[in-house]
Amino acid sequence: MPNFHRKLERSAIGFVLAIIGVSAIGGFVEIAPLFTIQETVEKAPDMRVYTPLETAGRNIYIREGCYACHSQMIRTLRDEVERYGPYSLAVESQYDKPMLWGSKRTGPDLARLGGKYSDAWHVAHLVNPRAVVPQSVMPKYGWLMRNELSTADLSLHLAAQRRLGVPYTEAQVANASADAYGQASPDSSYAGGVGERYGAETNVRAFDGEPGRLTEMDALVAYLQVLGRLTDAAHRQTAAKGK
Amino acid sequence: MGFDHQTFVAFAKSWGLFYLIALAIGVLIYAFWPSNRKRFDRAKKSILDKDDRPGD
Amino acid sequence: MVSALTLSERQLAIAVSSLLALCGFAMALAGRDDLLGVHGVIVLLFGVGGIFLVLSKYFEPEPSDERLTRYYDDPTKVGIVLSLAWAVVGMFFGVWVSALLAWPDLTFDAGWASFGRLRPVHTSGVIFGFGGNALIATSLHVLQRTSRARLPDQFSPWFVLIGYNLFCVIAASGYLMGLTQSKEYAEPEWYADLWLVVVWVTYFLIYIRTLQRRKEPHIYVANWYYMAFILVVAVLHIVNNLALPISLGSAKSYTVYSGVQDAMVQWWYGHNAVAFFLTAGFLGMMYYYLPKRAGRPIFSYRLSIISFWGITFMYMWAGSHHLHYTALPQWVQTLGMTFSVVLLVPSWASAGNALATLNGAWHKVRDDATLRFMMVAAVFYGLSTFEGSFMAIRAVNSLSHYTDWTVGHVHAGALGWVAMITFGSIYALVPWMWKVKQIYSPKLVEVHFWLALSGTVIYVFAMWNSGIIQGLMWRTYNDSGTLAYSFIDSLVAMHPYYIARTVGGLFFLIGAIVASYNVWMTIRMARWQAPVHAAEADMPAGAALQPGE
Repeated sequence: MPNFHRKLERSAIGFVLAIIGVSAIGGFVEIAPLFTIQETVEKAPDMRVYTPLETAGRNIYIREGCYACHSQMIRTLRDEVERYGPYSLAVESQYDKPMLWGSKRTGPDLARLGGKYSDAWHVAHLVNPRAVVPQSVMPKYGWLMRNELSTADLSLHLAAQRRLGVPYTEAQVANASADAYGQASPDSSYAGGVGERYGAETNVRAFDGEPGRLTEMDALVAYLQVLGRLTDAAHRQTAAKGK
Repeated sequence: MGFDHQTFVAFAKSWGLFYLIALAIGVLIYAFWPSNRKRFDRAKKSILDKDDRPGD
Repeated sequence: MVSALTLSERQLAIAVSSLLALCGFAMALAGRDDLLGVHGVIVLLFGVGGIFLVLSKYFEPEPSDERLTRYYDDPTKVGIVLSLAWAVVGMFFGVWVSALLAWPDLTFDAGWASFGRLRPVHTSGVIFGFGGNALIATSLHVLQRTSRARLPDQFSPWFVLIGYNLFCVIAASGYLMGLTQSKEYAEPEWYADLWLVVVWVTYFLIYIRTLQRRKEPHIYVANWYYMAFILVVAVLHIVNNLALPISLGSAKSYTVYSGVQDAMVQWWYGHNAVAFFLTAGFLGMMYYYLPKRAGRPIFSYRLSIISFWGITFMYMWAGSHHLHYTALPQWVQTLGMTFSVVLLVPSWASAGNALATLNGAWHKVRDDATLRFMMVAAVFYGLSTFEGSFMAIRAVNSLSHYTDWTVGHVHAGALGWVAMITFGSIYALVPWMWKVKQIYSPKLVEVHFWLALSGTVIYVFAMWNSGIIQGLMWRTYNDSGTLAYSFIDSLVAMHPYYIARTVGGLFFLIGAIVASYNVWMTIRMARWQAPVHAAEADMPAGAALQPGE
């Protein structure tokens, strides 16, 4: 043993291998089960993927660093369930690339935000949080209302996720830009396709209150309004336990 | 080669522990092996020597 | 810098810079409709800058073989300066974002200046900019001294140092433009990640090539830690950042992991980034500079070995304590908790080892602020590892998670341990590197010490208070069995602590500025004194042989 270790130290390469061995093998033993962890995730047949507009909104959420102050993970603790709603299930974030569970609540959890407030509330809140909640310390996001949403590369966004296992259909990928426009323009001819491809319950509204323009605000509010509403699994589970 | 989740978990829970124990014993033996004492003493004093030039 | 390169190294430098410029050009072209194009231009400028830098000195005489009888410290010197520059930048952004939480309108109506984009500039600026540059600079110094061998060549250390800083610039500028993967401590997008792999492999090769040419039979323990830092960070970085860009002309990529798997991978990375970037690397610093400055060998070499393998092995398993009570399978949570608690053993072994080394040298600690920086760092290392193990316990975590307590814990480690050991090491290293008797002003080191210590204490106490209050308010029920406080009630209660935290951070920032001034004046002082020293027979004749300096 000591002789072995002495040789190990003499050759720097051996030492490198030892460090890799100890750390990586140790790490791998723990990490390996996680490569099959999707098997342990609950099934939710009713779950749908994010629409192109919601995907764009999610990317704005990431871009502005919202995850630094808002979690999207309700823990299995009584006070959290009472404050925010049914605790989060793994299946609810199965298409989230990356996940946005967060680790800090400077603001409240957003896992069940969808449908809690009106679109108009969200728009007013994002433009100036203190106009709606006087004590808020959230930044103002006025530029979301000013910036046109870029939809040109949304097909690429969906195609990349499709290659990584998110079940987008070819029709969804091909119509991504049109669907993004249609979801925020209920009166346009593009609106119908959104319901066809993503389900009748998909929100199709002028989220920013201006039907004529497709803004970043449209995308972000569309995303916020679908948080926790891609599947009913969490609500079903809570209801089943209540009985 | 059908590795399902349960297999991985069982492997991690059992062999991971053996690996930890074996490694801990190995490190302790190495650290306390009597003939290593001299080299360790030399090593810990070596950095206090003159170090102006390579190979000193 | 260039004049120390041999002719073939100068040619290599031009070739590599040209390749870099070409990459930048390709990025700028492919990403002309995307933010990728902006980064292409930055890369192009770095490449062109490199070419001009080398060409301007290309025809200067080559260095003589006499250089091989000396250590190669120029990259370390530049690394120290870069580290301090990033410290001031990163901490300035830290103070700014903390002020935004107390006064949210202290910003402009512009995306780049909002909290969410500034925050990663702070975290990456201090961790990668300040910490990373300090690690590279000190590791190259420690590596040569403990191996008693010169670096293998003159070009690759510059490639690592400049390439690494290019990564940092790409990262920070990207955040301001809104380019982020949103992965904690791994925000930069795919092309920056690929570049870092190239830089890191070169860094590793420098290390291994020097170690193989070492004159000492035994590899000194500080190098073990630096080595673990380099190796494991490489593994973590590659695994965590596997992603598919939506096109080669776009900065945006999607990670290959999703949902719960991504959560586990991210925190496996996140926690081990703390372990191997912010702990192992800086322990390497501590195991060299603390005994050296105290003039006493480390208390127990054996303990340092045991502690090394313990840390290397066990940290890998602890990441899941970031995901207690979440949708992660419970056995993984329990495993993470268990190993986090056991981790206290090797951590305290290191902290205790450092403090025991100072036994018999306490009078030096009293008189020498540089050594005191290192002593306080060891104390904070012990405190924050204890706190970390404590917070990893599920029941404690149910209170502390999502609150400012976590932020306080991170800063107890980052300010109290990482920054203090770095400043201590830099203060010890600067006079050696620039060959002066002592730092420009020991008094200013003293001033910096007290600013840093009081800043840390104010910061950490503010966050402990706010975190625990927050956690308790969220879970308090009134007599009728309903939640007693709304979320906004808890936010309002944080206001005074957020102000206190900003003050603490400001103290720390001022300390970093004082340190930068002190080091800068030392460098100027060294220039005035250089001819005097060159005349002295017992000093290595650095100044006379390096006309480029």
